[in-house]
Amino acid sequence: MKLLLALDDGPGARRAVDEAIRIARQQGATLDALFVIDATWDVFTGHDWLSGCNSRIGFLEYMQGLEEKAAAETARAFLERRGDLPGELLTAPGDVVDVVREHAARGYDLLVLSNPFTRGLEVMRDAVAKLTRDAPCDVLLVRPAPE
Amino acid sequence: MEDKGLFGKILAIVPGLAVMIGTLYVLRVYVEPWMKDAVVFGSKGWLVQVLSLNYILLSILTGMFYRNILFGGKIPAWAEEGFRTTRLFIKTGVIMLGSLYTFDKLLKVGGVAITLIVAFVFGTAIFVLWLGKRLGADRSVTATMAAACGVCGVSAAVATAPGVRAKPVDLALSIATILGFGIMTMFVSPFVGKMLSLSDYQFGAWVGTGILNSGQVLATCLAFNPNFAPGTAVAYGEIWNVVRVICIPFVVFFITAWYWKGEADAEHVSLGSILASKFPIFVLGFIGMTALSSLHIIGAEGSETLHLMRDVMAWVFGIGLVGLGAYIDVREIKAAGGKPLRIGLIAGVTKYVLAMIIILAFIPKEGAF
Repeated sequence: MKLLLALDDGPGARRAVDEAIRIARQQGATLDALFVIDATWDVFTGHDWLSGCNSRIGFLEYMQGLEEKAAAETARAFLERRGDLPGELLTAPGDVVDVVREHAARGYDLLVLSNPFTRGLEVMRDAVAKLTRDAPCDVLLVRPAPE
Repeated sequence: MEDKGLFGKILAIVPGLAVMIGTLYVLRVYVEPWMKDAVVFGSKGWLVQVLSLNYILLSILTGMFYRNILFGGKIPAWAEEGFRTTRLFIKTGVIMLGSLYTFDKLLKVGGVAITLIVAFVFGTAIFVLWLGKRLGADRSVTATMAAACGVCGVSAAVATAPGVRAKPVDLALSIATILGFGIMTMFVSPFVGKMLSLSDYQFGAWVGTGILNSGQVLATCLAFNPNFAPGTAVAYGEIWNVVRVICIPFVVFFITAWYWKGEADAEHVSLGSILASKFPIFVLGFIGMTALSSLHIIGAEGSETLHLMRDVMAWVFGIGLVGLGAYIDVREIKAAGGKPLRIGLIAGVTKYVLAMIIILAFIPKEGAF
């Protein structure tokens, strides 16, 4: 069995990681984790037409830096919890939903993600609705732990 | 990433650009004339006269329709490069707008514009810095919103964010708030302006002062009066817009300095470096065009050259505005919330209403040109 965990740095992220690890251990499955570096800030700020190149490039580089920092922190937290479970840690840039969907179609049996899934600009969108609508494999949605 | 080469890059622009041009063609040649003749509520041309649904607003609405309905929320890959040219079209249009003025005309209204803009830009920024503290907002959120509400909306937020270490979530919420508020004012303002019988001068001064995004100032002025000529709403509104745009680096400096003053690991910020990186160069093109107009190099008022130029300007703006509409995702705007929304609404409404009161009290109906 192959599991894909879509990593998030939002409030429900930790419980999704725990659930994915629990299922992988129970099933003796491989657990791959995917962190998508959101590369859609350019389109999100497309309404900004008057910034000069320097200003805009400076902004996009700043956002890229924050995304990479989030990727490193999330990966470190995941690796600490995963222990000796077999699997890979994947990082890919792009549109979060598109990249997760594309990876999930690569022979995985189950996609695990937090609900709501707020990676990058998905905080402004509805990644869960889009991913579950035409998911290429089974999907497990994990709610945040009750406060 | 695949390198397409120059020819490939140009080719990639074609499909999206063709959609933008084709859309404007249909709107200007078929839809707008039909709307002018259409009888609604027993009144001929009601859609255009009352709702201001001319080709400018229709361009934005059609762009929004493409993005939100036809494309299902995302500009498809085949159209992406073409729609990216939006910025180029609007900047070109603004540079061409410089031909509507001569320096002596600019001097006549420049003083009023500078006074109003500087007062409103820095007044709003200071108000938001105070409001953010009152509402207990994070300092980086307050700083981003102060820039966005004070000067040029999304562009100011983009220019300020790195300097004040804005967090992605806060920034996304701030941008959605600013965009949402701007779109609302863009559709409401022409209606209010006509209801209050504002002149082109008063309307241009009001929206140039009160609307948050500078792109929306242009669109709103053109929705009020779609003509490109000296003395029209867009001619006045653009003077306000240009003064605002020039203010961006100064506002970014002011707000960044405020932000770092309250941080333990303070960083040095210099006005020189901010001016070098944030000054919108295309403003120089606008001034250059005004210089050509002042020297009568592009023809006297009423000449064939100017007539042609204004026709081209209408097409250039129209194409750009189809693209601008396609960058408006209604679902993203609906997700606006939290403290950025509260700050944005309070500051935005205050600025919008206060600008109207000042315009009605101090700006005469008769324009300077």
